[in-house]
Amino acid sequence: MKLTALAVLAATHLNVFGAASLAEVLPRFDRTARYQFAGSDQLAFQIGEGAPADLFVAASPKYPQELYAQRRCSKPVTFATNTVVLVVPRANPARIQSVYDLRRDGIRLVVGAKGVPIGDYTRRLLAKLGLTSVLSNVVSEEDDVKLVVAKVALGEADAGFVYRTDVRRVGNRVLRIALPAAAQPTVAYDACVPAASKRQAAARSYLRRLLGPAGRAALRRAGFGVP
Amino acid sequence: MRAVFAVCAAAAVAFLALPVVAIFLRVPPGALVAQLTEPAARDALLVSLKTNAIAQALVLGIGTPAAYVLATNRFRGRSLVLTLVELPLVLPPAVAGIGLLAAFGRLGLLGSSLSTFGISLPFTQTAVTMAVAYVASPLYIRQAIAAFEATDPNLAAASRTLGAGPFRTFFRVVLPLARGGLIAGLALSFARGLGEFGATIMFAGSLQKVTQTLPLAIYAQFNLPEGFNAALAMGGALVVFSIVLLAGLHIGLSWQRSDSNRSVSLFGLSTSS
Repeated sequence: MKLTALAVLAATHLNVFGAASLAEVLPRFDRTARYQFAGSDQLAFQIGEGAPADLFVAASPKYPQELYAQRRCSKPVTFATNTVVLVVPRANPARIQSVYDLRRDGIRLVVGAKGVPIGDYTRRLLAKLGLTSVLSNVVSEEDDVKLVVAKVALGEADAGFVYRTDVRRVGNRVLRIALPAAAQPTVAYDACVPAASKRQAAARSYLRRLLGPAGRAALRRAGFGVP
Repeated sequence: MRAVFAVCAAAAVAFLALPVVAIFLRVPPGALVAQLTEPAARDALLVSLKTNAIAQALVLGIGTPAAYVLATNRFRGRSLVLTLVELPLVLPPAVAGIGLLAAFGRLGLLGSSLSTFGISLPFTQTAVTMAVAYVASPLYIRQAIAAFEATDPNLAAASRTLGAGPFRTFFRVVLPLARGGLIAGLALSFARGLGEFGATIMFAGSLQKVTQTLPLAIYAQFNLPEGFNAALAMGGALVVFSIVLLAGLHIGLSWQRSDSNRSVSLFGLSTSS
Protein backbone atom coordinates (compact mmCIF):
# COMPACT_ATOMS: atom_id res chain seq x y z
CA MET A 1 0.00 0.00 0.00
CA LYS A 2 2.67 2.39 1.07
CA LEU A 3 4.85 1.31 -1.83
CA THR A 4 2.20 2.05 -4.45
CA ALA A 5 1.64 5.46 -2.92
CA LEU A 6 5.36 6.13 -3.19
CA ALA A 7 5.39 4.92 -6.78
CA VAL A 8 2.55 7.27 -7.65
CA LEU A 9 4.37 10.13 -5.92
CA ALA A 10 7.54 9.34 -7.85
CA ALA A 11 5.62 9.27 -11.09
CA THR A 12 4.11 12.68 -10.42
CA HIS A 13 7.47 14.27 -9.62
CA LEU A 14 8.34 16.80 -12.24
CA ASN A 15 11.93 16.61 -13.55
CA VAL A 16 13.06 20.22 -13.93
CA PHE A 17 16.35 20.84 -15.74
CA GLY A 18 17.48 24.26 -14.57
CA ALA A 19 20.37 26.60 -15.35
CA ALA A 20 23.04 26.71 -12.62
CA SER A 21 22.12 30.31 -11.77
CA LEU A 22 18.59 29.18 -10.81
CA ALA A 23 19.81 26.63 -8.27
CA GLU A 24 18.65 28.71 -5.29
CA VAL A 25 15.44 30.26 -6.45
CA LEU A 26 13.61 27.35 -8.12
CA PRO A 27 13.62 24.92 -5.16
CA ARG A 28 12.40 27.75 -2.95
CA PHE A 29 9.62 28.49 -5.41
CA ASP A 30 8.51 24.84 -5.69
CA ARG A 31 10.08 22.18 -3.53
CA THR A 32 8.05 19.24 -4.86
CA ALA A 33 9.76 19.11 -8.25
CA ARG A 34 12.99 17.23 -8.78
CA TYR A 35 15.79 19.47 -9.97
CA GLN A 36 18.94 19.02 -11.94
CA PHE A 37 21.12 22.11 -12.19
CA ALA A 38 23.98 22.55 -14.66
CA GLY A 39 25.09 24.84 -17.48
CA SER A 40 22.17 25.51 -19.87
CA ASP A 41 24.24 24.26 -22.79
CA GLN A 42 24.90 20.93 -21.08
CA LEU A 43 21.26 20.53 -20.12
CA ALA A 44 20.22 21.27 -23.70
CA PHE A 45 22.67 18.65 -24.91
CA GLN A 46 21.35 16.12 -22.42
CA ILE A 47 17.76 16.82 -23.44
CA GLY A 48 18.78 16.44 -27.08
CA GLU A 49 20.27 13.06 -26.18
CA GLY A 50 17.02 11.96 -24.56
CA ALA A 51 17.40 12.83 -20.87
CA PRO A 52 14.00 12.65 -19.10
CA ALA A 53 13.33 16.37 -18.61
CA ASP A 54 9.79 17.65 -18.12
CA LEU A 55 10.76 21.29 -18.09
CA PHE A 56 13.84 23.10 -19.36
CA VAL A 57 14.52 26.35 -17.52
CA ALA A 58 17.54 27.93 -19.21
CA ALA A 59 19.73 30.97 -18.57
CA SER A 60 19.44 32.10 -22.16
CA PRO A 61 16.92 31.99 -24.98
CA LYS A 62 19.49 30.34 -27.25
CA TYR A 63 19.19 26.70 -26.19
CA PRO A 64 15.40 26.54 -25.76
CA GLN A 65 15.09 28.22 -29.19
CA GLU A 66 17.42 25.64 -30.71
CA LEU A 67 15.39 22.80 -29.24
CA TYR A 68 12.19 24.51 -30.41
CA ALA A 69 13.59 24.82 -33.93
CA GLN A 70 14.20 21.05 -33.88
CA ARG A 71 10.62 20.53 -32.59
CA ARG A 72 12.02 18.99 -29.43
CA CYS A 73 10.28 21.42 -27.08
CA SER A 74 7.37 23.84 -26.85
CA LYS A 75 7.64 27.51 -27.84
CA PRO A 76 10.03 29.13 -25.31
CA VAL A 77 8.74 31.86 -23.01
CA THR A 78 10.85 34.45 -21.21
CA PHE A 79 10.21 34.32 -17.46
CA ALA A 80 13.10 36.32 -15.98
CA THR A 81 15.92 38.70 -16.80
CA ASN A 82 19.31 39.23 -15.22
CA THR A 83 22.22 41.61 -15.49
CA VAL A 84 25.95 41.06 -15.80
CA VAL A 85 28.09 42.50 -13.02
CA LEU A 86 31.80 42.75 -12.34
CA VAL A 87 32.89 41.36 -8.98
CA VAL A 88 36.20 41.53 -7.14
CA PRO A 89 37.24 39.86 -3.87
CA ARG A 90 36.25 41.97 -0.86
CA ALA A 91 39.93 42.76 -0.15
CA ASN A 92 40.20 43.91 -3.79
CA PRO A 93 43.88 42.92 -4.16
CA ALA A 94 44.19 44.50 -7.61
CA ARG A 95 42.45 47.72 -6.45
CA ILE A 96 39.92 47.70 -9.26
CA GLN A 97 37.59 50.74 -9.19
CA SER A 98 35.99 50.46 -12.61
CA VAL A 99 35.75 48.06 -15.50
CA TYR A 100 38.42 50.12 -17.27
CA ASP A 101 40.97 49.09 -14.63
CA LEU A 102 40.83 45.61 -16.13
CA ARG A 103 43.11 46.89 -18.88
CA ARG A 104 46.06 47.03 -16.48
CA ASP A 105 48.71 44.36 -17.02
CA GLY A 106 48.83 41.50 -14.58
CA ILE A 107 45.17 41.58 -13.55
CA ARG A 108 43.91 38.06 -13.03
CA LEU A 109 40.53 38.03 -14.74
CA VAL A 110 38.27 34.98 -14.78
CA VAL A 111 35.42 34.72 -17.30
CA GLY A 112 33.00 32.11 -18.60
CA ALA A 113 34.19 30.12 -21.60
CA LYS A 114 32.80 30.78 -25.09
CA GLY A 115 29.53 28.95 -25.60
CA VAL A 116 28.61 29.20 -21.91
CA PRO A 117 25.91 31.92 -21.57
CA ILE A 118 27.84 34.06 -19.05
CA GLY A 119 30.94 33.77 -21.24
CA ASP A 120 29.07 34.96 -24.32
CA TYR A 121 27.36 37.82 -22.43
CA THR A 122 30.72 38.90 -21.00
CA ARG A 123 32.28 39.05 -24.45
CA ARG A 124 29.30 40.99 -25.83
CA LEU A 125 29.51 43.48 -22.95
CA LEU A 126 33.26 43.98 -23.36
CA ALA A 127 32.80 44.46 -27.11
CA LYS A 128 30.22 47.21 -26.48
CA LEU A 129 32.66 48.94 -24.13
CA GLY A 130 35.51 48.57 -26.63
CA LEU A 131 37.39 46.57 -24.02
CA THR A 132 37.98 43.25 -25.80
CA SER A 133 41.69 43.78 -25.14
CA VAL A 134 41.15 42.97 -21.45
CA LEU A 135 40.58 39.37 -22.50
CA SER A 136 44.38 39.09 -22.65
CA ASN A 137 44.27 39.29 -18.83
CA VAL A 138 42.06 36.20 -18.61
CA VAL A 139 43.73 33.50 -16.53
CA SER A 140 40.89 31.01 -16.72
CA GLU A 141 37.81 30.38 -18.85
CA GLU A 142 35.32 28.57 -16.67
CA ASP A 143 32.65 26.15 -17.81
CA ASP A 144 29.88 27.62 -15.72
CA VAL A 145 29.12 30.80 -13.81
CA LYS A 146 29.44 29.16 -10.37
CA LEU A 147 33.10 28.38 -11.06
CA VAL A 148 33.71 32.06 -11.87
CA VAL A 149 31.95 33.11 -8.66
CA ALA A 150 33.97 30.60 -6.60
CA LYS A 151 37.34 31.74 -7.94
CA VAL A 152 36.58 35.39 -7.15
CA ALA A 153 34.99 34.65 -3.76
CA LEU A 154 38.05 32.56 -2.80
CA GLY A 155 40.27 35.50 -3.68
CA GLU A 156 42.20 33.53 -6.30
CA ALA A 157 41.06 35.76 -9.14
CA ASP A 158 41.26 39.57 -9.10
CA ALA A 159 37.97 40.00 -10.91
CA GLY A 160 35.26 38.11 -12.75
CA PHE A 161 32.03 38.70 -14.65
CA VAL A 162 28.97 36.99 -13.18
CA TYR A 163 25.21 37.56 -12.91
CA ARG A 164 23.80 40.02 -10.40
CA THR A 165 21.88 37.17 -8.76
CA ASP A 166 25.14 35.36 -7.99
CA VAL A 167 26.42 38.23 -5.87
CA ARG A 168 23.70 37.88 -3.24
CA ARG A 169 24.96 34.44 -2.27
CA VAL A 170 28.57 35.54 -1.70
CA GLY A 171 27.85 39.17 -0.91
CA ASN A 172 30.05 39.21 2.17
CA ARG A 173 33.08 38.01 0.24
CA VAL A 174 32.94 40.07 -2.94
CA LEU A 175 32.46 43.68 -4.00
CA ARG A 176 30.37 44.67 -6.94
CA ILE A 177 31.78 47.14 -9.44
CA ALA A 178 29.20 49.13 -11.37
CA LEU A 179 29.06 48.67 -15.13
CA PRO A 180 27.82 51.25 -17.64
CA ALA A 181 24.12 50.45 -18.13
CA ALA A 182 24.30 51.09 -21.87
CA ALA A 183 26.71 48.18 -22.27
CA GLN A 184 24.40 45.65 -20.61
CA PRO A 185 23.48 42.75 -22.84
CA THR A 186 19.90 41.47 -22.65
CA VAL A 187 20.07 38.45 -20.37
CA ALA A 188 16.76 36.65 -20.77
CA TYR A 189 15.82 33.37 -19.14
CA ASP A 190 13.64 31.18 -21.32
CA ALA A 191 11.76 28.01 -20.42
CA CYS A 192 10.12 25.35 -22.56
CA VAL A 193 8.49 21.95 -22.15
CA PRO A 194 10.42 19.18 -23.92
CA ALA A 195 8.28 17.33 -26.45
CA ALA A 196 9.38 13.98 -25.02
CA SER A 197 8.04 14.78 -21.54
CA LYS A 198 5.29 12.49 -20.33
CA ARG A 199 4.04 15.08 -17.83
CA GLN A 200 3.07 17.85 -20.22
CA ALA A 201 0.14 19.10 -18.15
CA ALA A 202 2.12 19.25 -14.89
CA ALA A 203 5.03 20.95 -16.66
CA ARG A 204 2.70 23.59 -18.16
CA SER A 205 1.15 24.22 -14.78
CA TYR A 206 4.61 24.70 -13.19
CA LEU A 207 5.51 27.14 -15.96
CA ARG A 208 2.22 29.05 -15.51
CA ARG A 209 2.90 29.42 -11.80
CA LEU A 210 6.47 30.56 -12.52
CA LEU A 211 5.08 33.25 -14.83
CA GLY A 212 2.37 34.16 -12.32
CA PRO A 213 2.50 36.22 -9.12
CA ALA A 214 4.16 33.51 -6.96
CA GLY A 215 6.93 32.91 -9.48
CA ARG A 216 7.51 36.59 -10.11
CA ALA A 217 7.76 37.30 -6.38
CA ALA A 218 10.26 34.48 -5.84
CA LEU A 219 12.34 35.58 -8.81
CA ARG A 220 12.35 39.22 -7.68
CA ARG A 221 13.39 38.22 -4.15
CA ALA A 222 16.33 36.34 -5.67
CA GLY A 223 17.42 39.44 -7.55
CA PHE A 224 16.07 38.61 -11.00
CA GLY A 225 14.17 41.01 -13.16
CA VAL A 226 10.78 39.87 -14.44
CA PRO A 227 9.44 40.66 -17.91
CA MET B 1 27.78 -22.73 -13.25
CA ARG B 2 30.42 -22.23 -15.92
CA ALA B 3 27.78 -20.77 -18.22
CA VAL B 4 26.69 -18.24 -15.58
CA PHE B 5 30.28 -17.15 -14.98
CA ALA B 6 30.89 -16.86 -18.70
CA VAL B 7 27.81 -14.67 -19.09
CA CYS B 8 29.01 -12.45 -16.24
CA ALA B 9 32.43 -12.17 -17.85
CA ALA B 10 30.91 -11.30 -21.22
CA ALA B 11 28.60 -8.71 -19.62
CA ALA B 12 31.49 -7.10 -17.73
CA VAL B 13 33.71 -6.90 -20.81
CA ALA B 14 30.87 -5.58 -22.98
CA PHE B 15 29.90 -2.95 -20.40
CA LEU B 16 33.48 -1.72 -20.04
CA ALA B 17 34.27 -1.78 -23.75
CA LEU B 18 31.03 -0.38 -25.19
CA PRO B 19 31.50 3.34 -24.35
CA VAL B 20 35.00 3.19 -25.81
CA VAL B 21 33.77 1.48 -28.96
CA ALA B 22 30.95 4.02 -29.21
CA ILE B 23 33.43 6.91 -29.26
CA PHE B 24 35.11 5.47 -32.33
CA LEU B 25 31.85 4.55 -34.04
CA ARG B 26 30.31 7.99 -33.65
CA VAL B 27 33.10 9.82 -35.46
CA PRO B 28 34.93 8.26 -38.43
CA PRO B 29 38.69 7.76 -37.92
CA GLY B 30 39.59 10.33 -40.59
CA ALA B 31 37.54 13.00 -38.80
CA LEU B 32 39.10 11.98 -35.47
CA VAL B 33 42.57 12.66 -36.83
CA ALA B 34 41.47 15.90 -38.52
CA GLN B 35 39.91 17.17 -35.30
CA LEU B 36 43.15 16.55 -33.44
CA THR B 37 45.02 19.03 -35.63
CA GLU B 38 42.62 21.79 -34.52
CA PRO B 39 44.49 24.36 -32.38
CA ALA B 40 42.41 23.73 -29.24
CA ALA B 41 43.09 19.97 -29.38
CA ARG B 42 46.76 20.37 -30.26
CA ASP B 43 47.34 22.90 -27.48
CA ALA B 44 45.56 20.70 -24.96
CA LEU B 45 47.62 17.68 -25.99
CA LEU B 46 50.84 19.66 -25.55
CA VAL B 47 49.79 21.01 -22.14
CA SER B 48 48.80 17.51 -21.04
CA LEU B 49 52.05 15.92 -22.20
CA LYS B 50 54.25 18.62 -20.71
CA THR B 51 52.60 18.79 -17.30
CA ASN B 52 52.33 15.01 -17.03
CA ALA B 53 55.94 14.43 -18.05
CA ILE B 54 57.17 16.85 -15.38
CA ALA B 55 54.78 15.48 -12.78
CA GLN B 56 55.78 11.87 -13.42
CA ALA B 57 59.49 12.73 -13.39
CA LEU B 58 58.96 14.25 -9.94
CA VAL B 59 56.87 11.29 -8.83
CA LEU B 60 59.62 8.91 -9.95
CA GLY B 61 62.49 10.96 -8.55
CA ILE B 62 60.97 11.73 -5.14
CA GLY B 63 58.46 8.91 -4.85
CA THR B 64 60.96 6.07 -5.32
CA PRO B 65 63.25 6.89 -2.38
CA ALA B 66 60.21 7.81 -0.30
CA ALA B 67 58.60 4.45 -1.03
CA TYR B 68 61.87 2.67 -0.22
CA VAL B 69 62.12 4.37 3.16
CA LEU B 70 58.51 3.49 3.96
CA ALA B 71 58.96 -0.09 2.78
CA THR B 72 62.14 -0.86 4.71
CA ASN B 73 61.51 0.92 8.00
CA ARG B 74 59.15 0.02 10.80
CA PHE B 75 58.34 2.92 13.06
CA ARG B 76 55.54 4.20 15.24
CA GLY B 77 52.79 5.77 13.23
CA ARG B 78 53.86 4.02 10.03
CA SER B 79 50.31 2.95 9.19
CA LEU B 80 49.17 6.53 9.73
CA VAL B 81 51.81 7.72 7.27
CA LEU B 82 50.78 5.05 4.77
CA THR B 83 47.14 6.08 5.12
CA LEU B 84 48.04 9.73 4.53
CA VAL B 85 50.00 8.79 1.43
CA GLU B 86 47.09 6.79 0.05
CA LEU B 87 44.42 9.30 0.99
CA PRO B 88 44.39 11.23 -2.31
CA LEU B 89 43.40 7.96 -4.02
CA VAL B 90 40.03 7.88 -2.30
CA LEU B 91 39.41 11.63 -2.15
CA PRO B 92 36.96 12.92 -4.74
CA PRO B 93 39.01 15.07 -7.14
CA ALA B 94 36.91 18.09 -6.20
CA VAL B 95 38.04 17.71 -2.60
CA ALA B 96 41.63 17.43 -3.80
CA GLY B 97 41.11 20.68 -5.69
CA ILE B 98 39.69 22.47 -2.65
CA GLY B 99 42.57 21.14 -0.55
CA LEU B 100 45.18 22.36 -3.02
CA LEU B 101 43.53 25.79 -3.05
CA ALA B 102 43.36 25.88 0.74
CA ALA B 103 47.05 24.98 0.94
CA PHE B 104 48.62 26.70 -2.06
CA GLY B 105 45.97 29.21 -3.14
CA ARG B 106 46.65 32.91 -2.91
CA LEU B 107 45.08 33.07 0.56
CA GLY B 108 46.06 29.50 1.40
CA LEU B 109 48.13 28.03 4.19
CA LEU B 110 51.43 28.19 2.29
CA GLY B 111 50.16 30.26 -0.57
CA SER B 112 50.00 33.47 1.45
CA SER B 113 53.68 33.16 2.42
CA LEU B 114 54.57 32.20 -1.14
CA SER B 115 52.89 35.33 -2.42
CA THR B 116 55.13 37.51 -0.25
CA PHE B 117 57.94 36.14 -2.44
CA GLY B 118 55.93 37.04 -5.51
CA ILE B 119 55.09 33.40 -6.22
CA SER B 120 51.51 32.69 -7.18
CA LEU B 121 50.54 29.14 -8.10
CA PRO B 122 46.84 29.11 -9.09
CA PHE B 123 46.13 29.44 -12.84
CA THR B 124 49.69 28.38 -13.78
CA GLN B 125 51.12 25.27 -15.43
CA THR B 126 52.87 24.58 -12.14
CA ALA B 127 49.42 24.28 -10.58
CA VAL B 128 48.40 21.73 -13.23
CA THR B 129 51.57 19.75 -12.57
CA MET B 130 50.89 19.83 -8.83
CA ALA B 131 47.30 18.69 -9.27
CA VAL B 132 48.45 15.81 -11.46
CA ALA B 133 51.20 14.81 -9.03
CA TYR B 134 48.81 15.06 -6.09
CA VAL B 135 46.18 12.70 -7.47
CA ALA B 136 48.51 10.35 -9.36
CA SER B 137 51.58 9.87 -7.18
CA PRO B 138 49.86 7.74 -4.49
CA LEU B 139 49.27 5.08 -7.16
CA TYR B 140 52.99 4.92 -7.83
CA ILE B 141 54.14 5.18 -4.22
CA ARG B 142 51.72 2.49 -3.07
CA GLN B 143 52.84 0.11 -5.80
CA ALA B 144 56.50 0.94 -5.18
CA ILE B 145 56.18 0.22 -1.46
CA ALA B 146 54.64 -3.17 -2.25
CA ALA B 147 57.38 -3.89 -4.79
CA PHE B 148 60.17 -2.98 -2.35
CA GLU B 149 58.55 -5.01 0.42
CA ALA B 150 58.42 -8.01 -1.89
CA THR B 151 62.17 -7.96 -2.53
CA ASP B 152 64.19 -10.39 -0.44
CA PRO B 153 66.09 -8.38 2.20
CA ASN B 154 68.74 -11.15 2.28
CA LEU B 155 69.78 -10.19 -1.24
CA ALA B 156 70.41 -6.59 -0.23
CA ALA B 157 72.23 -7.81 2.88
CA ALA B 158 74.35 -10.16 0.78
CA SER B 159 75.22 -7.30 -1.54
CA ARG B 160 76.37 -5.22 1.44
CA THR B 161 78.51 -8.08 2.88
CA LEU B 162 80.08 -8.50 -0.55
CA GLY B 163 81.30 -4.94 -0.28
CA ALA B 164 78.76 -2.89 -2.22
CA GLY B 165 77.78 0.43 -0.62
CA PRO B 166 74.15 1.32 0.17
CA PHE B 167 73.73 3.34 -3.00
CA ARG B 168 75.28 0.64 -5.19
CA THR B 169 73.10 -1.98 -3.49
CA PHE B 170 69.98 0.12 -4.03
CA PHE B 171 70.65 0.78 -7.69
CA ARG B 172 72.12 -2.61 -8.66
CA VAL B 173 70.11 -5.01 -6.52
CA VAL B 174 66.96 -3.53 -5.03
CA LEU B 175 65.84 -1.45 -8.01
CA PRO B 176 66.21 -4.26 -10.58
CA LEU B 177 64.34 -6.61 -8.26
CA ALA B 178 61.46 -4.17 -7.79
CA ARG B 179 61.48 -3.01 -11.39
CA GLY B 180 58.25 -4.74 -12.44
CA GLY B 181 56.21 -3.21 -9.65
CA LEU B 182 57.74 0.22 -10.18
CA ILE B 183 56.95 0.21 -13.90
CA ALA B 184 53.39 -0.93 -13.24
CA GLY B 185 52.96 1.80 -10.61
CA LEU B 186 54.32 4.49 -12.89
CA ALA B 187 52.07 3.42 -15.76
CA LEU B 188 49.00 3.58 -13.51
CA SER B 189 50.10 6.93 -12.13
CA PHE B 190 50.65 8.27 -15.65
CA ALA B 191 47.24 7.04 -16.80
CA ARG B 192 45.53 8.61 -13.79
CA GLY B 193 47.45 11.85 -14.25
CA LEU B 194 46.49 12.15 -17.93
CA GLY B 195 42.84 11.86 -17.00
CA GLU B 196 43.03 14.36 -14.11
CA PHE B 197 40.13 16.81 -14.24
CA GLY B 198 38.50 17.91 -10.99
CA ALA B 199 41.50 19.09 -9.02
CA THR B 200 42.93 20.83 -12.10
CA ILE B 201 39.80 22.82 -12.96
CA MET B 202 39.53 24.04 -9.36
CA PHE B 203 43.18 24.75 -8.62
CA ALA B 204 44.57 25.68 -12.05
CA GLY B 205 41.49 26.83 -13.94
CA SER B 206 41.17 26.28 -17.65
CA LEU B 207 42.90 28.37 -20.29
CA GLN B 208 43.95 27.22 -23.73
CA LYS B 209 47.72 26.82 -24.18
CA VAL B 210 48.32 27.42 -20.45
CA THR B 211 46.31 25.21 -18.14
CA GLN B 212 43.77 23.52 -20.40
CA THR B 213 44.69 19.84 -20.44
CA LEU B 214 42.99 17.26 -22.68
CA PRO B 215 40.23 16.35 -20.19
CA LEU B 216 39.51 20.06 -19.57
CA ALA B 217 39.45 20.74 -23.31
CA ILE B 218 37.05 17.83 -23.81
CA TYR B 219 34.73 19.33 -21.22
CA ALA B 220 35.02 22.82 -22.70
CA GLN B 221 34.36 21.54 -26.24
CA PHE B 222 31.29 19.77 -24.93
CA ASN B 223 29.93 23.24 -24.12
CA LEU B 224 30.37 24.55 -27.64
CA PRO B 225 27.52 24.24 -30.18
CA GLU B 226 29.51 22.11 -32.65
CA GLY B 227 32.02 20.87 -30.12
CA PHE B 228 30.77 17.35 -29.57
CA ASN B 229 32.83 15.91 -32.43
CA ALA B 230 35.96 17.67 -31.23
CA ALA B 231 35.28 16.35 -27.73
CA LEU B 232 34.90 12.85 -29.17
CA ALA B 233 38.13 13.17 -31.13
CA MET B 234 40.11 14.26 -28.07
CA GLY B 235 38.45 11.53 -26.06
CA GLY B 236 39.52 9.08 -28.76
CA ALA B 237 43.11 10.32 -28.52
CA LEU B 238 43.12 9.79 -24.75
CA VAL B 239 41.68 6.31 -25.22
CA VAL B 240 44.32 5.36 -27.80
CA PHE B 241 47.07 6.66 -25.56
CA SER B 242 45.73 4.77 -22.55
CA ILE B 243 45.43 1.54 -24.56
CA VAL B 244 49.04 1.87 -25.70
CA LEU B 245 50.12 2.51 -22.12
CA LEU B 246 48.19 -0.43 -20.67
CA ALA B 247 49.13 -2.84 -23.45
CA GLY B 248 52.77 -1.77 -23.11
CA LEU B 249 52.51 -2.42 -19.40
CA HIS B 250 51.14 -5.94 -19.89
CA ILE B 251 53.76 -6.78 -22.50
CA GLY B 252 56.54 -5.21 -20.46
CA LEU B 253 55.57 -7.10 -17.32
CA SER B 254 55.40 -10.49 -19.02
CA TRP B 255 58.81 -9.75 -20.54
CA GLN B 256 60.07 -8.70 -17.13
CA ARG B 257 58.97 -11.98 -15.50
CA SER B 258 60.97 -14.12 -17.93
CA ASP B 259 63.87 -11.69 -17.67
CA SER B 260 64.16 -11.29 -13.92
CA ASN B 261 66.81 -13.97 -13.52
CA ARG B 262 69.15 -12.27 -15.93
CA SER B 263 68.98 -8.82 -14.37
CA VAL B 264 70.05 -10.00 -10.96
CA SER B 265 72.44 -12.67 -12.11
CA LEU B 266 74.70 -9.77 -13.03
CA PHE B 267 75.43 -9.77 -9.38
CA GLY B 268 75.91 -13.50 -9.17
CA LEU B 269 72.68 -13.98 -7.25
CA SER B 270 69.44 -15.59 -8.24
CA THR B 271 65.96 -14.42 -7.37
CA SER B 272 64.32 -17.70 -8.30
CA SER B 273 65.59 -19.43 -5.21
